[in-house]
Amino acid sequence: MDEYASVLLAFPNAIDLSNEAFHPAVRRHVREVEELVKDSADFGSHAAQLLEHVDPAVNSISYLALLGILLQRDRVPQTNVTLLICITKFLLTFDARQIRYAGTAFSSLLGLIAGGNLFPASVAVDLLATAILRIDPTGTMFTSHHLPLVRLAYFTDNVEPALPVIQKDIVFFPGIKSGADGRPCDMDLSPPAYITPESGLTEKIKNSTVLEYDLLVAKCFIQRRSWQQAFDALERIVSYPSKDHACSKVMIEAYNKWTLVGLLLNGKPPTLPASVSSNIRKAYSVLGKPYASIAEAFEVKTAAALKAEIESLGPQFWAEEVNLGLVNYVLSHYQRWMIVNLRDIYTKISLEDIRKLTQSAETGKELDTEAQVLALLQDMISSGMLNGRVEAAADGKPAHLVFLAPTEELSEAEFATQMLQTAQRIKDLGPIVKATNERLATSREYIRYLARDQKGNGKGIEFGGFETTVEDEDLMTGIMAV
Amino acid sequence: MADPLLAFFTVMDGQGGFVVKEAPKFDLDLYIQNYRGRTRFDRLFLVGRSSVPLCIDALKAAIAEAKRGRDPQRYREAVDCLRIAAPNEPEAQFDYAWLDGIEASNRNETHRLTAELKGYKNNLIKESVRMGNEDLGKHLESIGDLNGAAEAYSRMRPDVSTPKHLVDVGKHLVRVALQRREWSMVNAHLAKMGGHQGPEDEKALQPYLKITQGIAYLGLDQYHEAALSFLAADAGVPSTAYNEIASANDVAVYGGLLALASMERTALQNMVLDNSTFRTFLELEPHIRRAVTQFVNGRYSACIATLEAHKSDYLLDIYLQKHIPKIYSKIRSKCIVQYLIPFSCVTLDTMSTAFGHAGQSIEDELVTMIRDGSLKARINTIDRLVTTVSADPRGSLQSSALKTAQDYKKQAIDRLRRMSLAAAELELKGVKKTTGQHALGGGNEIMYDESVLV
Repeated sequence: MDEYASVLLAFPNAIDLSNEAFHPAVRRHVREVEELVKDSADFGSHAAQLLEHVDPAVNSISYLALLGILLQRDRVPQTNVTLLICITKFLLTFDARQIRYAGTAFSSLLGLIAGGNLFPASVAVDLLATAILRIDPTGTMFTSHHLPLVRLAYFTDNVEPALPVIQKDIVFFPGIKSGADGRPCDMDLSPPAYITPESGLTEKIKNSTVLEYDLLVAKCFIQRRSWQQAFDALERIVSYPSKDHACSKVMIEAYNKWTLVGLLLNGKPPTLPASVSSNIRKAYSVLGKPYASIAEAFEVKTAAALKAEIESLGPQFWAEEVNLGLVNYVLSHYQRWMIVNLRDIYTKISLEDIRKLTQSAETGKELDTEAQVLALLQDMISSGMLNGRVEAAADGKPAHLVFLAPTEELSEAEFATQMLQTAQRIKDLGPIVKATNERLATSREYIRYLARDQKGNGKGIEFGGFETTVEDEDLMTGIMAV
Repeated sequence: MADPLLAFFTVMDGQGGFVVKEAPKFDLDLYIQNYRGRTRFDRLFLVGRSSVPLCIDALKAAIAEAKRGRDPQRYREAVDCLRIAAPNEPEAQFDYAWLDGIEASNRNETHRLTAELKGYKNNLIKESVRMGNEDLGKHLESIGDLNGAAEAYSRMRPDVSTPKHLVDVGKHLVRVALQRREWSMVNAHLAKMGGHQGPEDEKALQPYLKITQGIAYLGLDQYHEAALSFLAADAGVPSTAYNEIASANDVAVYGGLLALASMERTALQNMVLDNSTFRTFLELEPHIRRAVTQFVNGRYSACIATLEAHKSDYLLDIYLQKHIPKIYSKIRSKCIVQYLIPFSCVTLDTMSTAFGHAGQSIEDELVTMIRDGSLKARINTIDRLVTTVSADPRGSLQSSALKTAQDYKKQAIDRLRRMSLAAAELELKGVKKTTGQHALGGGNEIMYDESVLV
């Protein structure tokens, strides 16, 4: 057993190893641990004991290997509290630099947790989110663990702990064949350089995975009434890049929700981003017709018309579309937006006038009493939707609502700070741009193009550009098949 | 006699026509003297159907006018109206002898002219063919077959040999198109007329071109263009050059009202009041001149009062009638907007006295104007105030700068994401179909790409 321990504890032999020293040492260590696991059945029987001597934060690879064995041997690991505590300890403290070399084992551990049997769902979501962000602190890389995480979070109603992951802007996806072969232990690497299907930290993904992920993210935010974030997620699906005018069912579903969420968010129908091609627009307008009529009724018509528009299809239809909740929400929000829009016309208006001027789309009529108006207004003001205050009747004036100026003018200093913050956020994109650039520049197609270009220049032949060359290749020889 | 009149105007009202109860300020005989040609009947008939006080006189005059011409259909229409409005008048009875006679003679004439034209065509003499077509067109127009007339006139075009002929063809076609209310056709015909003659003739034609163009734009609801056309008309040419379309008084009214509805104060000063050619027209209609001056001088309520006083006259005009409510409301909103410019805060009561009708609050009108964006102001119904919204360049610049920066970031992320998706070959791809049909042809065939794309 001491033998085993000496192998397991052999790495790291020093703290703060340089990349040059770390890389070969960790590769050797991984090989040795693998051999231990493979060769001896005896090692397995000591695993539980060994676990006590290994520090998950220092000897992360060894610890992970032991956990793997124990999970395999235990028929019902969910009852083994000690093991569960060890897993938790590991996921919260592991050394991300080492785990880059043990991606496959790590992924299968995450997969097991995402299965939902090991831990209660709330703990599982929390652990997964933490682990994903420990591997990729920027959160900009999509992995095959994202979808199981958000699926578990959404269906078990544990969105809160998943927020740190699903709030991140994802810009990288696995699957680019990169010619560069660096050392994964370099902590300055961008996430796509070390999170690759080859490293095992992610699997290859399909476009349906990305679409489903965004749809579930949107649903999570809808559940939390975070309309802006839900809207952004849906818009990512609606404007998903597409070739040959292809349009998927998920996109249609997202488009429908996107229309409703847009109404809730801005009080008017959203406009499609410019990147959506005309054929897909056409598909949306044909298949999303009921939603487009709701949007139209919401914007220009009366509450009764909106109500009729929605009722003409019946609750059955909306329930089948799984949008009944959203549609009802749109109905109940209609009057609120009518009141908010009064801000463009009035500075002060009596509650009685508000009652007469606006109608509830739920009943198609005006509210019955001023007290109901008052309750609605107070609700809106406290939720931050309405910037104003209600003044009670006094001095012969009726009770009335005062609209406050939309935004107080910023002082020069405040404005400067805000601008600086925004500028900083844009600057923060710099590394991402750089990483993307590097990735694309080292992709096989681009290098081929460069090589040809240089040859071509030598002979004085002019090339149209990277795009045309690749297009040519694709048509003639099928570069993908090479 | 009051009862049949009432019944008549109930019918007219039901047909969507205008009913003007106030007596107009003009004299019917003097008014109609300004015109010649078929427009005389049209105008009389319109006055007869719209104006309560002038109804019977105008309808009688229209019947007399119709009997002087050769169009039996017009005669029937006018008599039909008079029969409802005043069944006891002698003119309310159909003159069957005249009707039968005129119809027979019309038939013969059409037959004769068609035969003649055929003869000319066989002889291949261009000038004769042209004149034959012209005669036929004139005849068909006079008997009310506008469609046939338009055809005959346009058949003249291939045989045109002098610029004068070309202008004649144009005038015929424009006249017919105006009667048929085909405004865009009027413009198309007008475009072919200018620029073919010597400067003298061109000058004589200019007011005709400008005025008809103005009327066509008016018909197309393009008030600003219409105003510009009327304002450019040359007053030096006698009105006989265009009185089969409109009179000089009409030009003044059309030009003045449309300019008021569509131009700013400085433009009104420069292009209407200081316009030496248009001044001649304006002198014919001093109250239009007065209204424009009042608007320019900022006396908006006086301007509106002046216009209101003459509203009934304008409502009896053949081209203006349909547009008067719109033009008046435009002028009114402009007055309100201009009125508010020097103030930051006005009480609703002051505005009501300045613009309101008796007992009617101006609030609703303001709400409509604010809603459609023509007025930048807010209403305070509690303290009864209207506050104008001052532009806040600093604030708007600040928020737009922040917004631009935000959008930039959002777009940058979106682009990076799309690039990555494309590079990882994760774009959605359509399943290749053997038929080569459009991917979403049926609307139901959604493709869902499940294959691993690496």
